[in-house]
Amino acid sequence: MRFRGNNQKQSSSEASGVKMNRFLSLVLLVCALFGLSAPASAQIFRYPEDTRPASLLPFFAEDMSSVRMVELIFESLVFINKRGDVEGGLATGWEVAPDKQSIRFTLREGVQWHDGKPFTAEDVAFTVHAAQDPQTIFNAKGKYKFITEVQVEGRFSIRFKFDKPINEPERRFTFKIIPKHAFSGTAISRKDAFSRKPIGTGVYMVSKYSLRSVSLQIFPNYWGQAKITGILMQHTPDKSAQINLLQYSGTKSGVQAVVFVPPKNIPLFENSDSVVLEPYHTVSWWYMAYNHNNPSLANRAVREALAYAINREELLEANLGRGDVLSGPFTESSPFYNFEVEPRAYDEQRAAQILESAGYKLQNGIRQKGKEKLEFRFVLDKELASNQSLFLGIQAQLKKIGVSVKPQYVDHARYRELVFSQDNFDLTLNVWSFEEVEDVYPLFHSKGVMNFIHYRNAEVDKLLDQAKGMHDYKQYKEAMKRLHAMLDKDLPYFFLWSLDLYSGISKQVKNVFIQPYYYFTSFKEWELNP
Amino acid sequence: MKRIFLALLRRILGGFALLLGASFIIYMTVRAAPGDAIDAISPMGTPPEVKAQLMAEFGLDRGPLAGYGVWALRSLCGDFGDSLVFAPGERVMAVALPAFGRTLLLAGGALLVCLCFALLWAACNPGGSRRSQLLGASLYGVTSAPSFVIAVAFAQAVNELVYRLVDARGFVTPSWYPIPIACSSMMPYLFAGITLILSDGLLIDLVNYLRSELQALRRSPFIAAIRAKGARVTGHLLKNMVVPILSAYASRLPVVLGGVVIVEYVFTLDGAGYVLLEASKNRDFPMVVGLSVLFTALVILVNIISDVVKGWLDAREVAHGG
Repeated sequence: MRFRGNNQKQSSSEASGVKMNRFLSLVLLVCALFGLSAPASAQIFRYPEDTRPASLLPFFAEDMSSVRMVELIFESLVFINKRGDVEGGLATGWEVAPDKQSIRFTLREGVQWHDGKPFTAEDVAFTVHAAQDPQTIFNAKGKYKFITEVQVEGRFSIRFKFDKPINEPERRFTFKIIPKHAFSGTAISRKDAFSRKPIGTGVYMVSKYSLRSVSLQIFPNYWGQAKITGILMQHTPDKSAQINLLQYSGTKSGVQAVVFVPPKNIPLFENSDSVVLEPYHTVSWWYMAYNHNNPSLANRAVREALAYAINREELLEANLGRGDVLSGPFTESSPFYNFEVEPRAYDEQRAAQILESAGYKLQNGIRQKGKEKLEFRFVLDKELASNQSLFLGIQAQLKKIGVSVKPQYVDHARYRELVFSQDNFDLTLNVWSFEEVEDVYPLFHSKGVMNFIHYRNAEVDKLLDQAKGMHDYKQYKEAMKRLHAMLDKDLPYFFLWSLDLYSGISKQVKNVFIQPYYYFTSFKEWELNP
Repeated sequence: MKRIFLALLRRILGGFALLLGASFIIYMTVRAAPGDAIDAISPMGTPPEVKAQLMAEFGLDRGPLAGYGVWALRSLCGDFGDSLVFAPGERVMAVALPAFGRTLLLAGGALLVCLCFALLWAACNPGGSRRSQLLGASLYGVTSAPSFVIAVAFAQAVNELVYRLVDARGFVTPSWYPIPIACSSMMPYLFAGITLILSDGLLIDLVNYLRSELQALRRSPFIAAIRAKGARVTGHLLKNMVVPILSAYASRLPVVLGGVVIVEYVFTLDGAGYVLLEASKNRDFPMVVGLSVLFTALVILVNIISDVVKGWLDAREVAHGG
């Protein structure tokens, strides 16, 4: 009976197998009819981006999606390698003058632009002249200010002179080089067609630029080597769709990387057979900014009370996952972080005491001193992930000490207008990101261009001015540590945390190294196994 | 014939005035929206002088009224300006027209298929019976969900099906899989079309409308007379249903075009809906205004065509000022 039963089961499973095969044949037939089969041999690295790259012209590549793509298409004279050392890109060598006021680069010979034209020192000089042209309007213009003179000394040799002695000046030449022959003059507009049809010397060239996606193919005449033949970047604004796509990465299709995996999705991939979580640490930190033009927030006691009343560890763990709670304007990996300054511990009672001693009495659940009520308008950018849940946490914690905050959620453009242009906010939550090391002068100097909180402290200004003129790195580092301690005491912002970020990468991809800011700096070494 | 021509001329002139009015409202609304293209693209702390230079470069230094005047004059000559942020420097119509064409194909095609299906359903289930009530209720249940819910569920279901049946078994995977990373073929458009048909209660609305029109027609004296003569009524019914079908098409098209925006977003289709959303987010006002004008012009045009055809088929429409 058992044997017979097995036979019956076998025959029924065979029958269902036949049915399944018929169904599959039908599916494949439909695919074939629509001409939809994908070429099996194409080795395409696919990844989604939250935003469209706004411009592929390096000067105007200001959003992270553009920065990553530009890294694949263009090259710089030098770049910072995995070990943090300077390595030659379009330059094969460099000599710094003994007075540290000039540098001469020897350029790589035989390099071609994607349109086949040769790369020369004229292109390097043109890039600097274009960047310094007053008609070329872009935000990172300050990066080129230190160059006072460019001398083309030969087809493959170029010298730069500086306004003052600079230590390790080669580190400042990581900007991308653009081709002179692609432009009619040094005044370059944001609207230039080059931003959609870029010509670089990088390992990948643009093969298709459409509304939602950019396809790159390997540049056959590239001077070096790369292992992956093509890249497809698709604008996929929905983060959950990106995570779904990453889950399909184990087989032939799906995406091979998601640049940033949100903390709530990390458990999905922690023990995954197909995806590995690659940690990387960006030079960026979160802050809660106080508008110092608000009389209540200009009072240091109020700022300190708010700082004691907010439990950063709890907010971080509940909303963003892992990271380091900070006491100043540097990340813990920064050479300027002052470890002697401990982050303020959460202390609700102390917060209440500070407000009490400052004369703010509790009336109907809100603290007030005369007519001055501790009620604030908290402006939040809808695009900053986790903002809503973070705000709710902060609101609940501040309510305990009698401080009321009312949210105003606005879209990105409106946020910029309210906070950075119109000064129309009391509190806000945001993140500062830096390329390599933090330059905080523009944030905290009373004349700093990014001092949108209107912070004014004569001692801080004096220290920042002194540090700006320092040529000795050790001295500068000590000054930054002193600044850290001063800012922790005076609290221009409430410094929150820096996050441990994770990228989701398919296990098909080998030799992965993620450069925290540019992401794809070492992409040439990445391999994609079938 | 002269009457039809005059009616047509009147409609065209009215449509043009409507388009001008609509473009004015759209332009003013976009310019009045908080934040502008400069705020959208310039990182934190951009110096005011840089912003001022960018304002001049983007033509945002003119006031809204003067700006509209310049825009209206230029667009009358076919120049809708350049995109500011979405595709910097590209002519608005060079980006908008192909995207709009794809959206039109998607929305117009989906509505056409939906109408054919609704007509068939209405003809086969005249209503009144318990079976047809049950079928109507099921159809209502299936198709009444909002388009974004149907779109997400549909994309997920298709991906899962292909993953289990094709990809995981080592077969050659279709180039459109997985949705939405690869949209290089027409298949995502097909899926988006199905989503439009099955969402927002469009199908059941059309079924109900066509069913009531069909019932009224079936009860009309001239159909009774044809039946009394023993002749077939199908041809007469179909011919007389053209006018309600055209009316339904013209009136539902704006609704479908509204739904297309979110469906394109989910399926990552590069149609006008996607461009409109991205351009609005970045305050790319020439692109937003250009596309909105195209949408408005389409609705006006479809209504004019529908009226002309109706007038041609049924002289009473012209007599009644249709």
